[in-house]
Amino acid sequence: MKRRLFLASSIAAALGGCAPIGTALNDNPGFHHLLGLEGALDAAILGNSAGLARQYSIADISPHFPIDSLPTPTSSTYEALLANGFRSYALAISGAVERPMHIPLARLAGMAQQSQITRHDCVEGWSAIGAWTGVPLRDVLRLATPHRDARYVVFRCMDRDDQGTPYYESLDMAQAYHPQTLLALQLNGRPIRPDHGAPVRLRVPTQLGYKSAKWVAEIQVVGSFAHLYGGKGGYWEDQGYEWYAGI
Amino acid sequence: MRYSTIVQRLVYRYALLTRLAHWFGAIAVAVLISSGLQIFNAAPYLDAADRSTPARRVLSIGSPADGVGQLTLFGHTFTTTGFLGWGSDGVGGETARAFPGWLTIPAYQDLADGRRWHFFFAWVASLAWLAWLVSSAIKGNLAEMVLRPSDLPKLLPMQAYYLRLRREPPPHGTYNPLQKAAYTFVLFVLAPLIVLTGLALSPGIDAIAHPLTVLFGGRQFARLWHFLGMLLFVGFALVHIFQVATQGFFNQMRSMISGWYRLRDHESVGP
Repeated sequence: MKRRLFLASSIAAALGGCAPIGTALNDNPGFHHLLGLEGALDAAILGNSAGLARQYSIADISPHFPIDSLPTPTSSTYEALLANGFRSYALAISGAVERPMHIPLARLAGMAQQSQITRHDCVEGWSAIGAWTGVPLRDVLRLATPHRDARYVVFRCMDRDDQGTPYYESLDMAQAYHPQTLLALQLNGRPIRPDHGAPVRLRVPTQLGYKSAKWVAEIQVVGSFAHLYGGKGGYWEDQGYEWYAGI
Repeated sequence: MRYSTIVQRLVYRYALLTRLAHWFGAIAVAVLISSGLQIFNAAPYLDAADRSTPARRVLSIGSPADGVGQLTLFGHTFTTTGFLGWGSDGVGGETARAFPGWLTIPAYQDLADGRRWHFFFAWVASLAWLAWLVSSAIKGNLAEMVLRPSDLPKLLPMQAYYLRLRREPPPHGTYNPLQKAAYTFVLFVLAPLIVLTGLALSPGIDAIAHPLTVLFGGRQFARLWHFLGMLLFVGFALVHIFQVATQGFFNQMRSMISGWYRLRDHESVGP
């Protein structure tokens, strides 16, 4: 009986040790970095896949599309844009491009539109299906013509967290030129609502939701994002989430 | 003077690669379960649908008020304060949280780090499984582990033996019929299903393999299957550990550490 008790207590100790040992290793920078290498492996395997996100029918659209982002911007700039129905909004394209430019919302709306009914998969685990209409990002990039040595497209957004840190995201050129990567202007047949990222929201249906940046103000073509904010290529990436968000 | 006439034969049961695969696999599975619960905590509900659909919610864990934890299963709500819904925050306090800190890696709530652990150790577990499969196939002892039609009539007598309704187990090889059934199910059905349902959750995988996600009923449904797979695996692990602890603990542990196992009188070598 004593032996049974000894065995039971050693098994309980082994199981109970899992969380504290894991937590201690998690707080070790070297081990933490080692774990993160798996993300680079995923990016190498899948990062530039040409696979298309599944398309759904109108009947599949979620009746309620959740809001799960930083709060809607409250800056005077955004308030002013909102007040005139985004007529003064212009998407800036800057950085390593032949023709830096500002594209007014009306011009974006006048370009060839693509509609997709795709599923939005949040990193937290929920998903929602919406019908998105807008301009394929590659059409907009072609207007500005990125330099040959350009590697990433950075999206600078108007939303900020409670510390004042702005939201941003990035894609590599292959992801940016993916046929389903969209600068969405409409959700479910109506102009995107302010809380869904009006007037222009990125849609990257082949990756998790945090890539689909809301309230996009500027597209910046760069050779590296190491000098931007936390250097990891995105607001959530700077807080430990993988840069390649396809997993 | 009486003395034992039982010849206690030592047999070399587990190859080095098999033993390494077992322990790496065991550690990886423990990490996968606790980091998986960490990931679950970020959206503590499971829907039998492609997209999130509250009307088809099978399970949810929540905290309707401070200090109260609840589990809702098929619409029936149970109070689970202190364990599910409200429990350890992993840093010495209590908080609204689906699974408590002592069950998750890391102990505090951190989805990004939980994902890092989960995906890293998913490779460890998969490679351990592959190493075991290759090592067993090379040694030719896969056959003694896999359930065959001829084992089926022995399943009930074996269960009767475990329930002490029968004095002797039915004659069997290295593994008894119930062990074979359990190992065959876990290694060739459950483990692959857990891997596939996990892959089906990823938008990047879904984009290159639509049929996989469709097969499981969609992304949220795959999340439900992935969770159920985990529960079944936990069930197997509990029975497995209980069996090891009660069926000659030191003999069993020695064999999985050094490879050498002492045969008991109703056991024989081979399939």
